[in-house]
Amino acid sequence: MPEVRAMAEKLNVGGQGSPFAPEEAEILDVADLTALEKLFKLRLAGGKNLGHAPGQFVEVSVPGFGEAPISICSSPTQREAFELCVRKVGTVTAALHSLKAGDKIGVRGPMGRGFDVEEMAGNDMLFVAGGLGLAPLRSLINYVFDRRERFGKVWILYGAKTPQELLFTKEFESWRKQPDTELMLTVDKPDEQWRGTGGVITVLFRKLPKLDPKRTYVAVVGPPVMYKFVLLETLNLKIPRNRIFCSLERHMKCGVGRCGHCQINNVYVCKEGPVFRFSQMESLPESFA
Amino acid sequence: MERVVTANELAAIADEAMRTGRTVVGPVRRKERYFYEAVSRGADLALDFNYCVYSPRSFFLPSSETVLSYSIGTKEVKAAPATGGTPLLIMGVHPCDCNAVALLDAVFGSGVPDDHYLARRKDSIVVAVDCHGPCDQTAFCRDMGGNEAKEGFDVMLTPLNGGKGQAAERYLAAAATERGKELLAYNKVGKAPANADKDAAEKFREARNANFKKKLPYEAEKLPEILDRSYNSLLWQVTAKRCYSCGSCNLVCPTCYCFTVKDVPDLSCASGRRVREWDGCQLQDFATVAGGHNFRPESSSRLRHRIFRKGKWIKEQQGRMGCVGCGRCDRACTAKISVVEIYTQLAEER
Repeated sequence: MPEVRAMAEKLNVGGQGSPFAPEEAEILDVADLTALEKLFKLRLAGGKNLGHAPGQFVEVSVPGFGEAPISICSSPTQREAFELCVRKVGTVTAALHSLKAGDKIGVRGPMGRGFDVEEMAGNDMLFVAGGLGLAPLRSLINYVFDRRERFGKVWILYGAKTPQELLFTKEFESWRKQPDTELMLTVDKPDEQWRGTGGVITVLFRKLPKLDPKRTYVAVVGPPVMYKFVLLETLNLKIPRNRIFCSLERHMKCGVGRCGHCQINNVYVCKEGPVFRFSQMESLPESFA
Repeated sequence: MERVVTANELAAIADEAMRTGRTVVGPVRRKERYFYEAVSRGADLALDFNYCVYSPRSFFLPSSETVLSYSIGTKEVKAAPATGGTPLLIMGVHPCDCNAVALLDAVFGSGVPDDHYLARRKDSIVVAVDCHGPCDQTAFCRDMGGNEAKEGFDVMLTPLNGGKGQAAERYLAAAATERGKELLAYNKVGKAPANADKDAAEKFREARNANFKKKLPYEAEKLPEILDRSYNSLLWQVTAKRCYSCGSCNLVCPTCYCFTVKDVPDLSCASGRRVREWDGCQLQDFATVAGGHNFRPESSSRLRHRIFRKGKWIKEQQGRMGCVGCGRCDRACTAKISVVEIYTQLAEER
């Protein structure tokens, strides 16, 4: 991999700048999370704060390979750097995986609408993550723990296909130590060492204590097949649909509501999402496609 | 500002624009059909054209354009914008396409402004020419309101003589913008319209209004409502069975603006360009994400998506119809799928 530098210089076409011009970010650290996922710690040029909300994303660019939308997985309370959990799944992410600390990449963002933490404050939190969905959800989970006194009880339900695919396992210990917090795990295919629950994520709902639907907010992130069934479970809990948040994945190519690739019915996920309320999703049938 | 200009004077305006460094684009006849092309003589502009196969959108949003350039491994790495290209005079744009340009202006000018588009637009002059009537049997501009334009042009030419398929010798040129006024004033052409000219223009408009007929069995403002209750119609599946997902409709549409962005490295891989290219929502992989999941795997869901954008969603987002009724998609369709037929059938389903 040749040295990669970001394209930090703003364009000056017609005096405004190009919506495609990225800022430079330096890779401070790269850590292996699983066989497919790496955690990148990044800092914007000049130490500038990214200033994101939990649930927002950035367009990451590796010149020569292109751009890809990646969720920010660190809490905004961590100001000096931000983190991206990247699964090696395409051209850009494969290029990213070949980079090392000290390399530079391009970043545009933060983009989209994240979780409304102000509205959630003062309530109990039910987090439900499937697979890579834990990455965007971690930005909210760690935010809640960094502002622990502002939130009530916390339940984190997390499912992956196999024990080896669980992300952020090193943080489980500290999450479990948080007051009034329960972390429940399941894997679709347990192996011989696995001592926990087996089965898809919805099995964990059977283990939940009685929640107070009047003071619980839900945040769900995972693949379509997972969130469809999880949202049905949350309805069983009688939690109002406008307090159930779900982050939707699409291929946002421009990030400014034009290229059309992330459109779900009449909304652009990059602008009006990626975080939607369940109540909103019901008028967006394509969100369940 | 209004002037009466002759066809020769219009050609002279085009020639003068070329002399001062503008590229002049207009309808050019190729065998039986017309295409927007750059001309070398103003006299080559065929202002009596029926319709151009492609819309003029490629002159503002090219099918491929560099949005960034990069180099790797040098100490000074700079992103350079592609320039807007040479300034443009585009002469011979029908009202339907003017409406489409106005929509693109709204799309690329709102939110985070797109300077690649805007730079090109700022450097262009659009001279529209009014229609005698629908350009063929396929057009349904009268229904969509595309047969009349208030925006998206700088000068409107109203033919004062001639007729359908017969080139006019004289036009009433009405400037709609400062740029349009400057164009007419700078060229010092034409004369102030006499009463007879104003009468001729009025007669033309009366005749044209009579020539345009509605094709839909309802007013287009009802279209969003009709689509609303047709989301689960079986018509999408039935019609899409014929669809080849070739994207021809997207290609010729004056209001399609979806695109993809990709990096194109030079042979050395030491430098390259980030390129924006037209994309089409009817193409199979348009809604595919990394990892391979396709959110619109069926051609029926893609067809529905396009029709909803054109008939409802763009209107909701931009306040303007996403379809101007030019009929290009129906003409270009390799499977003879007709938007007009879909719109009509949906209304009858009830």
